[in-house]
Amino acid sequence: MATVQLDAVSKSYGSGPLAVDNVNLSIADGEFMVLLGPSGCGKSTTLRMIAGIESISAGKLSINGRVVNNVPARDRDIAMVFQSYALYPHMTVADNLAFGLRRRAVPKPEIARRVREVADLLGLTPYLARKPSALSGGQRQRVALGRAMVREPQVFLFDEPLSNLDAALRVNTRNELIRQHHRLGSTMIYVTHDQVEAMTMGSRICVMNAGRVVQTGSPLEVYWNPADTFVARFLGAPPMNLLQLPVGTGERLLASNDSATVPLTLWRPATLAPYAGQSLIVGVRAEDVRLGPPPDATPSGWFRGRIDAIEPLGAETLVLVSAGAAEVTARLGRDVPARVGETVTLSFDAAAVHLFDPATTTAITREL
Amino acid sequence: MPQQVGNGSAAWRRLLRPGTGGDTSGASWLVLLLFLGPALLVFGAMTAYPMVRTICDSFFTIDDPDKPIWVGLANYVTLAGDGTFRRAVVNTLIWSVAAPVLDVGVGLLLALCLYAKVPFTRFLRVAWFTPVLLSYVVVAIVWLWLYNYDWGIVNVLFRAIGLGGLASAWLGNPHLALGSLIFIDVWKWAGFNMVVCLAAIHSLPSEVLEAAELDNCGWGGKLRFVIVPMLRPTLLNLYILAFVAKMKVFDLVWIMTQGGPLWSTETVSTYVYKRAFAWNTFDLGYPAAIASVWFGVVIVTVLLLNRLLRSRERVEF
Amino acid sequence: MLSRAFSRGGLMAILVAYTAFAGFPFLWVGTMSLRTTTEIAYNHYGWPSPAHWAKFRTAWIDSAFNTYFANSAAVVIGSVAVITLVGSAAAHCLARYRFPGNRLIYFILFSSIILPPQIVLIAVYQTLVEYNLYDTLWGLGLVYVSLQLPLTIYLLEGFFARIPQDLFDAAKVDGYGDFEIFFRLVLPVGMPAIATTVILNFILLWNEFLFAVVLIADDDLRTLPVGIQRFMGDHFQDIGMIATGVMISVLPVVVVYAFFSEKLIQGMTAGAVK
Repeated sequence: MATVQLDAVSKSYGSGPLAVDNVNLSIADGEFMVLLGPSGCGKSTTLRMIAGIESISAGKLSINGRVVNNVPARDRDIAMVFQSYALYPHMTVADNLAFGLRRRAVPKPEIARRVREVADLLGLTPYLARKPSALSGGQRQRVALGRAMVREPQVFLFDEPLSNLDAALRVNTRNELIRQHHRLGSTMIYVTHDQVEAMTMGSRICVMNAGRVVQTGSPLEVYWNPADTFVARFLGAPPMNLLQLPVGTGERLLASNDSATVPLTLWRPATLAPYAGQSLIVGVRAEDVRLGPPPDATPSGWFRGRIDAIEPLGAETLVLVSAGAAEVTARLGRDVPARVGETVTLSFDAAAVHLFDPATTTAITREL
Repeated sequence: MPQQVGNGSAAWRRLLRPGTGGDTSGASWLVLLLFLGPALLVFGAMTAYPMVRTICDSFFTIDDPDKPIWVGLANYVTLAGDGTFRRAVVNTLIWSVAAPVLDVGVGLLLALCLYAKVPFTRFLRVAWFTPVLLSYVVVAIVWLWLYNYDWGIVNVLFRAIGLGGLASAWLGNPHLALGSLIFIDVWKWAGFNMVVCLAAIHSLPSEVLEAAELDNCGWGGKLRFVIVPMLRPTLLNLYILAFVAKMKVFDLVWIMTQGGPLWSTETVSTYVYKRAFAWNTFDLGYPAAIASVWFGVVIVTVLLLNRLLRSRERVEF
Repeated sequence: MLSRAFSRGGLMAILVAYTAFAGFPFLWVGTMSLRTTTEIAYNHYGWPSPAHWAKFRTAWIDSAFNTYFANSAAVVIGSVAVITLVGSAAAHCLARYRFPGNRLIYFILFSSIILPPQIVLIAVYQTLVEYNLYDTLWGLGLVYVSLQLPLTIYLLEGFFARIPQDLFDAAKVDGYGDFEIFFRLVLPVGMPAIATTVILNFILLWNEFLFAVVLIADDDLRTLPVGIQRFMGDHFQDIGMIATGVMISVLPVVVVYAFFSEKLIQGMTAGAVK
């Protein structure tokens, strides 16, 4: 059993703002938890606090129910894969793998067995006698992973391990990591700024911003129900279209201006009453936007404006339209019967609308 | 940085390359001349030419500057049998091989002390570097006093803690003199090595040290398995630097013991000086021969050391 | 926890001990420079009371330290100025211009750093005598330039080579000629490295002894290191005065160190870190 629990964990460096602010996180045994966020959001610092290489300023960190705030890193039964791999440059691959075990007085035959097994699994056997400088980036990455696996720890920590690899290698290694997770079933905590990695690898995502946890949930949960505008725009490429529109009065609740009309059918009038006469932040994902006027049958909204740019990507096309003051991106199919400079209408289902409070930027939960 | 010159014609061809500069349009010879000319002129006149001339001198007896007498290899033959020269070479080699080990070793230990995040690190770094700046004249005078048999602090301290038997004539005893001088040299240079080692330790990638932490390495473990191995290039570099410097040592010996007592501190440089400028018969040819031989020895030993110590793979990170 | 405190205490003890070891000799000479020889003979390790500041004046004027100081200043400042100009020009040329033999020249200059001075000493002595530069500060200054040039060029070439080529391309496009580029671009941009070599050369040449003792015979032209040594030879019982003389000679170095310790340390250790 390897659960990790953070209770109000914070990290401060002197008198400045907190690097990690009151993080509460519960990671279950065998879970693949991804800490996702932009640079500087505190995710790496949180990971390092879990590892024990960064001290905890406030709060409680427990592993398997045991509070480990003051337990040194080497006694936490945790292994870490660093962003720069952090291999020992003066040791061979075999020694790199065996080093941690030797330092823990594991019997030699056991060390040999584990090293052999892990090398086999990761395809490192032909490189065992080489030094890291003679390996490629991908191979070094695997050695770093192997070094962690050989320890058979309770928890694996990953600090942006794929960011130094090229695109093709990244995809391969990502799948390799997912495979290892299924095989080992260990608890893994993974830090990244890449939302694709988060969506494909995590059983749960924890989105962080400016030191705080913004939202925690399964990847699809976080994608379809973002807790605020930050999460809404961070997940999804291209980012969700957000417009600030005044709320109308009248029977059919709408937020609209000259260039956009958004039906608010998913919310009760009572919920929206406080915003009467003010504006709301409306969100629609690019993939929910279609070209052409809204069909009569389903309740729909529309945008109208001039096409600023068309970006053909091969399998799909992105169309950027300026609807009034706002810019809206639509993700359309391969063939788009329109040209730059034309004025078009874009439409979308009422069911695809997200609402956010303009003052707090938090989402207004759908009700109907 | 200079190209690594090894054996083989490929390496020599590399030397003839135009260089790493960015100006590909080709500069006029006049410009090159004006920039590089003065330096090459000074170098040629005051370094290259004298070097060649000294070697040529060694084949003459030069007691009258206007009438050098050709003696062929006679000076070298005499040199082969010169007991004082042999003694001087031994002393200099002892100094050059042993002192750097102490220099660099103490420097490394001091750097590790400062790396352990002690208070006043900046002050200590500055304070410990001070002996490096003092001229050898100052150092020699001060240590002459410190080594004084009656009231020098070394003997005073020994007597004060009851080890009066160890109080000695540090510079007067032929068995102790060389060691005493080497001790001073280490005192002077440890701070230099300390600064370099400290900078090198700080430049080690922190993630590797963190990985060692997770691999159950405490201070001792990190030191032994990570820090010192990764510092090897710097330590070897420092050793070679110190070696080269010790092969040239003159000031300290000349002022403190002039090579005595009984040639126990005679070094090649003091011997050359004596034969050239302080001998009862004036002859520049013989000391020129000594200098030429020594020049050859230095070049060969530096190349050997370089090859020996750097032959293993570079530690890349 | 106890073992940690113990090792911490042990560490502090080592630090204090080594600081005393490194600093004591110099401080001791400092105190002795303010005491008369009689006072010193009475108690070698006493504190100066009263502090005889007048001794500095005596040493300066009566014992000719002012002459020695002036000679050192003249030779060293002159040499450093020439080295800086000549060295930076050469370093710039080697770093920036492609021409056959560039690396060869660099390699020769760099290798000459390991030359034992004796190989050059005898012939330099002969040459200076032949050209009537023996026993002159000009001759010594010239030798000093040649002594420090290789190291200076090595250090500056490394720095200059790292200046981005873009700056030079932009300057060329703006119509700057080669010399203008050197004086208006390289020298200002390279000032940190140049300052470092200036300080380094100053310290090394201020303390230089071997060539000074061989190439200067006239007492009026002696530089400080030799002057002190001769003084000690003549008056070696006069410990108090020698100590004062020593402090005078060390003063410029201490001043430079007090203001530029970081630059100085970096300069002297540059190139040693691999």
